[in-house]
Amino acid sequence: MSTDMSTTPGSSSGSLLRRGGWRLEKRLEVKPWHEVVTLVGAFIVGLALCSILIAASDKSVIDSYRALFDGALGSRRAIYETLVQATPLIFTGLAAAFAFRARVWNIGGEGQFFAGAMGAYFVSDLWSAHLPRGVMVPVLFIGAAAAGALWASIAGVLKARYDTNEIITTVMLNFIILLILSYLLGDLWRSPDTFYFQTVTLPESTHLPLMIDGSRLHWGFGIALAMAVVVYVVLRRTALGYEVRGVGINRTAGSYKGISVPRVTVLVMAISGALAGLAGAAELAGVHHRLQLDISNNFGFVGIIIALIGRLHPAGVVVSAIAFGALVNGAVTMQIQTGIPAALVDVIQGLSLIFVLTGAVAVRYRLQRTSSDE
Amino acid sequence: MNGPGANSVLLRASGVTKRFPGVVANDDITLEVRRARVHCLLGENGAGKSTLADLFYGVHEPDEGVIELRGEPIHMVSPRDAIAAGIGMVRQHFELVTPMSVLENVVIGTRGEAKVDLRTARDRLGELCDLYGVEVDLDTPVGDLAVGQQQWVEILKALYLGCEVLILDEPTAVLTPEGIERLFTTLRRMASEGLTIVLITHKLHEVMEISDDVTVLRRGRVVRTSLTSEVTMADLTRMMVGRDVDLDIDVTEASRGDLVLDVSGLDVATESGRGSLKQVSLRVHEREILGIAGVSGNGQDALFDVLVGMQPATAGTIVVDGQDMAELSPAARLDLGVASVPADRIHQGLMMDFRISENLILGRQRSDRFGRRGWLNQNDIARFADDSFANYDIAAPSTTHVTRVLSGGNLQKIVMARELAGQPRLLVVHQPTRGLDIGATEYVRRRLVEERDRGAAILLISEDLDELLNLSSRIAVIFDGRIVGEVDRRDATIDRIGMWMAGVSGAPGEAPP
Repeated sequence: MSTDMSTTPGSSSGSLLRRGGWRLEKRLEVKPWHEVVTLVGAFIVGLALCSILIAASDKSVIDSYRALFDGALGSRRAIYETLVQATPLIFTGLAAAFAFRARVWNIGGEGQFFAGAMGAYFVSDLWSAHLPRGVMVPVLFIGAAAAGALWASIAGVLKARYDTNEIITTVMLNFIILLILSYLLGDLWRSPDTFYFQTVTLPESTHLPLMIDGSRLHWGFGIALAMAVVVYVVLRRTALGYEVRGVGINRTAGSYKGISVPRVTVLVMAISGALAGLAGAAELAGVHHRLQLDISNNFGFVGIIIALIGRLHPAGVVVSAIAFGALVNGAVTMQIQTGIPAALVDVIQGLSLIFVLTGAVAVRYRLQRTSSDE
Repeated sequence: MNGPGANSVLLRASGVTKRFPGVVANDDITLEVRRARVHCLLGENGAGKSTLADLFYGVHEPDEGVIELRGEPIHMVSPRDAIAAGIGMVRQHFELVTPMSVLENVVIGTRGEAKVDLRTARDRLGELCDLYGVEVDLDTPVGDLAVGQQQWVEILKALYLGCEVLILDEPTAVLTPEGIERLFTTLRRMASEGLTIVLITHKLHEVMEISDDVTVLRRGRVVRTSLTSEVTMADLTRMMVGRDVDLDIDVTEASRGDLVLDVSGLDVATESGRGSLKQVSLRVHEREILGIAGVSGNGQDALFDVLVGMQPATAGTIVVDGQDMAELSPAARLDLGVASVPADRIHQGLMMDFRISENLILGRQRSDRFGRRGWLNQNDIARFADDSFANYDIAAPSTTHVTRVLSGGNLQKIVMARELAGQPRLLVVHQPTRGLDIGATEYVRRRLVEERDRGAAILLISEDLDELLNLSSRIAVIFDGRIVGEVDRRDATIDRIGMWMAGVSGAPGEAPP
């Protein structure tokens, strides 16, 4: 009775795979370039799959993507506009990435964005008539950061004190802040000369200066890049960042060695909220100049995707925020030139996220050639 | 006796080599496992035992060489092939569906039948249990079983699938002494019924107790295969480590100094009531190691946690150098000079995704030694890591490598380097050598003795009696959350401590002179 697997017919499907086959093996170590390849690959696969959708609607894939590219990066003007789109996403992406590093699941970036915008409007309302721009703009950003931090801290404190699930509380707080804003825009903050739910246009002293004259690219982008550097430095070079990463990796071991997990949780929430709040200030002072309900294009939620695609690394966040800014920006041109709905960009975003997340698991493995018969 | 074919070679590896990135895990291994025998694979951590077992079980394929079963080469690309060929394995991490019953877990691995006949399965399992003397309730959800019991479910699964060769990877790691006894009895019975057992271990006395044959592996190579009856423990040790190791560390009794730790009337309540502490009182002096002996689950975890501040005391005081720290946070206790080495270094002691250098400063990331005002000084951290590597003989590619890649012995060295760096007044140590190979075990024990000689007070909680008898100045025994006896090392005998550990009182604790 032979049980030699290679000669027993139908012994198992495995033997079919054997000759000249491949198998998955766990990698001992994942190198940075593996991650970069995964990111780029995910993005390309996302675009490729969307080309099927485009082809299915009888449009030329090449023309469509050319229009997309032209609109996103095809000219100086297009590039500046891409960076304008990327600016709030860098802030909200950093906000999510910082919290997620500590495994604090702040899903409230959207609400904290609005809290920040409201904080900015509030300080502008108080002081913009009295302060010069050089002082007012920093004050505006400080107000926004404080408001975002305060709003997020509600969820942080609830989590730290009562172990309330922060995913639920932050999502709930998103609704609450929007309702508060609706109320204020309909009443106290409403511009007297309009029928709409919006404030008056803010005075010049609150306007962010432009980085490039003649474009819409404002200094909010520069501040966003600076914050990416700050977040990186805090995570890598400070005791707080050490504790944040530690709590994210193993909070049990952290507690044993004296790290106060509740304290870190509250701080992480506050800092994350402050970062999202800055996005609100940048949009208010850099683009809209008046507060209304539609100043966010889902920036808080897209920031979560940006953070995950950027592998929770500040540099990754900046790169993926710019990539998505480019997509959003290019989609408009694509829609005008080819009639393909700009919503296709949402599909590309979603698909890329799925592939990045799959890739994050897949990157821990490698394909290994299986030995052939002797 | 055994029938024809007994003692013929059943399983053979010839010239088997398996490489992983950066290591040759198995290097030209040739070995024969004979039918109806218990064959031990002995070696230190990282010697290649588990890799070899994985090759036998189809988890990996050899890069070179052949594995033969019953004299015919077999090719396996997955455990499915191994099971079909009659090879079963109980791995260190169980593959069980915890909400499902024992019976369902066993049946779930069977393939090919569209419908599972639970009644027939129950009968067959019952027969198997009777045949080998296995006692497990088939209808209990696996999640409700203790880890030791879950292992029996894994064994039953392998038997139910009809294995002729049963490979067990470090099965005794999760068992109490009684559990080990029971396992060994059953394994002997299986062998006498014709099953072939391959047992992976790094514990010498287990090899001597259970095996017929023993193969020693070192650094991925076979040192020698022998009849167990023809070798001594000293022979095996020499083969394992390539040199003589003196496990009986010379513990010249140091004269003890001032009182450091004074625990009195300590109560700790746990939610389940299991593993709680009742009226525990202990004293540890400078230059003294107090050993805490006991069977696992008698309150050792609570004792460790309450001393380091991870669990609140419901009554009693914990005085260190005259200050009651029962209400203090873990951080405040660190500042008082209380260092600790937890039993579960991976979950309680280390951040596996941190760099090694980062782990070395865990708990002191805010101390002036490694930075100023919340900033970390990378140079100071790097210098400290270099020193630790040198002083503690840590083997790793670099200090900035991710901690995850290290072996158990090196992980423990990192914890020791970190905890001893602050020259602690009190060192609380829990199972410091669990899962370590001989070299690392010896190293850790020597360090503890050195630390004692430096002047530290050490509380050593261990389930390893040899360790306690070797290192402790006094030994206290914990049973059901109480200290049921305490004895000076000079007067300690295994019999007496064993009685206390088993909960047999009658000879209550004698105070040391």
